[in-house]
Amino acid sequence: MPLLKVTGLSKVFQLGRNKTVTALNNVNFEVEDGEIFGILGPNGSGKTTCLKLLLGILFPTEGSISIMGKNQFDVEAKSRIGFLPENPYYYEYLCGTEVLNFYGRLFGMPKGLIKERTEYLLKLVNLQDAGKLALRHYSKGMLERIGLASSLINDPKILILDEPTTGLDPIGCKETRDLLVRLKEMGKTILLSSHFLSEVERVCSRIAIFHRGNLLTTGSLSSLLNQYGADNLEDLFVKSIEKYDVELESGKPVAATD
Amino acid sequence: MGKMWVIATNTFREALRKKTLYILLVVALVAIGTSRFFSFLAAQDELKMIKDVSFATIEFFGAILAIFTAMGGVSGEIEKKTIYTLLAKPITRKNFIIGKFLGQSMVILLNAILISLFFIGLLISKKAVPDMEIYKSLLLIYIELLMIGAISLAVATFATDAFNIILSFFLFITGNLSVYFKQVIERTENIIFKGLGYMLYNIIPNYENFNIRDQVVVGVNVSWQYVGQTILYGVMYIVIAVLVGIYFFQKREV
Amino acid sequence: MKNKNWVNLFIAVLLYIPVGFLQVHIDYRRKLEDLEARLMLMPGQVAGSLVLSGFRGVAADLLWLNIEELWHQGHTYKLLPMFESVAWLQPRYITVWAVGGWHMAYNIYASTQDQKEKKYWYEQGAAFLKKGIAYNPEQYDLYFELGWTYYNKGEDFANAVKYLEKAVKFPCPDYVKSLLAHAYENNDQVDKAVEQWTRVLNTGFESVAKRALKVIREEGAFTPTRRRRLGMGMED
Repeated sequence: MPLLKVTGLSKVFQLGRNKTVTALNNVNFEVEDGEIFGILGPNGSGKTTCLKLLLGILFPTEGSISIMGKNQFDVEAKSRIGFLPENPYYYEYLCGTEVLNFYGRLFGMPKGLIKERTEYLLKLVNLQDAGKLALRHYSKGMLERIGLASSLINDPKILILDEPTTGLDPIGCKETRDLLVRLKEMGKTILLSSHFLSEVERVCSRIAIFHRGNLLTTGSLSSLLNQYGADNLEDLFVKSIEKYDVELESGKPVAATD
Repeated sequence: MGKMWVIATNTFREALRKKTLYILLVVALVAIGTSRFFSFLAAQDELKMIKDVSFATIEFFGAILAIFTAMGGVSGEIEKKTIYTLLAKPITRKNFIIGKFLGQSMVILLNAILISLFFIGLLISKKAVPDMEIYKSLLLIYIELLMIGAISLAVATFATDAFNIILSFFLFITGNLSVYFKQVIERTENIIFKGLGYMLYNIIPNYENFNIRDQVVVGVNVSWQYVGQTILYGVMYIVIAVLVGIYFFQKREV
Repeated sequence: MKNKNWVNLFIAVLLYIPVGFLQVHIDYRRKLEDLEARLMLMPGQVAGSLVLSGFRGVAADLLWLNIEELWHQGHTYKLLPMFESVAWLQPRYITVWAVGGWHMAYNIYASTQDQKEKKYWYEQGAAFLKKGIAYNPEQYDLYFELGWTYYNKGEDFANAVKYLEKAVKFPCPDYVKSLLAHAYENNDQVDKAVEQWTRVLNTGFESVAKRALKVIREEGAFTPTRRRRLGMGMED
């Protein structure tokens, strides 16, 4: 049974009296246990909307979501998820340790365990010397790293990361990628949203390509490259979008391919 | 309950670390302190002035703090985008709102009690030990402030900050003038307007209920029955506001 | 989650019913305990009340400071609307009624030589005190002030008795009881005077009461007739 299953997911935003925007249209995909699943797409393709729907921050217009057999609002399901939003903002008056402590308590973790995890995670993200520093003094890179540490405080089964390397320098990006691979080796399932193709190419076992709210295709990189006759991910990305645009113009139903 | 408390203590801690609370506190203490300088008045008049100014200060500055703390609690989290990480955690939206209310209540009460202690200290320094009526009046002000905060929190779950400020202050003023509104309704002859008027009178938060200051400052006793009824009114109104807040927040997409 | 959410709103709306009933009870108690601020439709003051609301006390105090200032500067007539304003803001503040009434019946009275004007200000002072009594009917203070004004200023002993009798119904200092006895004498109610002086024997004015009773026994009460015979009048 897949760890995460999305069926017929659609989201329509009401902008005015007669104006709507379809942010997601009939999206279907599954994420298996232990894989790193990449969600690719240009800005405005619906990636973040999809993640917010998975986390219960937004409500679907249609469709369903199953996380470890439960719906996305289930408190037990949420207790097994770790989330890193794009450009994370934190309580600037808290220090690193306090932030981790706060989130740990929200997970209902015992004090001793929170302390243990805090020390471990601060070391993992290389912030062990900045634990007592208020977040308003953190650099952007430090904020991303404390965000990552926060997303891991509960030792989640599923990690959902929205653009985790945005704003990071090349070293920061590499460190994040290495960390993701380590997490995968630890048995974590990771759902990663990004518009950095190279990053996705290096770490993801399977990918999904979004465009204008539609899921164009999902599958392993190798199978998709074969299917589209693409040389690399960038080529695949461009070809899948072109195919969508052509089919849309010709009036053919646009369906996601697996 | 535990998770509500986590939200509450975090809200409290955040408020303590912000400057707003301290600025308001200092201004309030200065305002009360100035009433000390009217020693050229007859002793009785000076005491009355200290009491009048102190009660008005605790209520007014308390209301400002209540409204801004409540606004920061919800819209602040949305603006800062900390709401995303929060809602992704295993905490229900209901518990989030209740936790926010508890946290802001702690902030409001701390502020009010600190100013009250200064006020009581000032009275004692003038050899006028506060009687029970003073404490009754303070207690009612505290409940009133919690009510103002709860209403502001409820509005914050569905409205913008600008609308919240305007509505909260509008309700503060109309809530204090509601008795005049009622007296006008009583003199109205048109039955339909009378009925609508009474309905409106009962819906809007009636802050004037909590005002026994004009009597307390001149030493008139107020019954515990009245105080108890008014506290119950405040508590029920707070519950209404929190429920409304929960309702709108559970529908809100951020 | 959405399906059960309406219950929150439903309960909130339902709770307005007991809140409404509670408000009725609170309104009743506010009237009973005289906690209710009064709507006084005086031109020009309604707008002021709309702004002041919870700051009535502070506004009253600031006006009182103004009164103090104007008094020390000798602006006798400018004080009058200020007394009215403070009394309107805090009608339970007895001092403003007492001082206002005294100011009219004594200070302004003394400042004019015209007899008609003197009479006018004496009556204004009494009227102001009567208004104060309407707002503070359960305390002795203003009954005493009015009784004293009638007794001392107007030599209107009938009215003095009327109001002093009301004053002694409430907890009051001994001098009030003593003054009532004097008023009875001056009003030709000798029997009542004796009764009242007898009551005063148990107070701090015991010596005064003993002397008064002795004088009544030996020489007669201080009735108007006797006073005229002795060539006595009331002091201005």
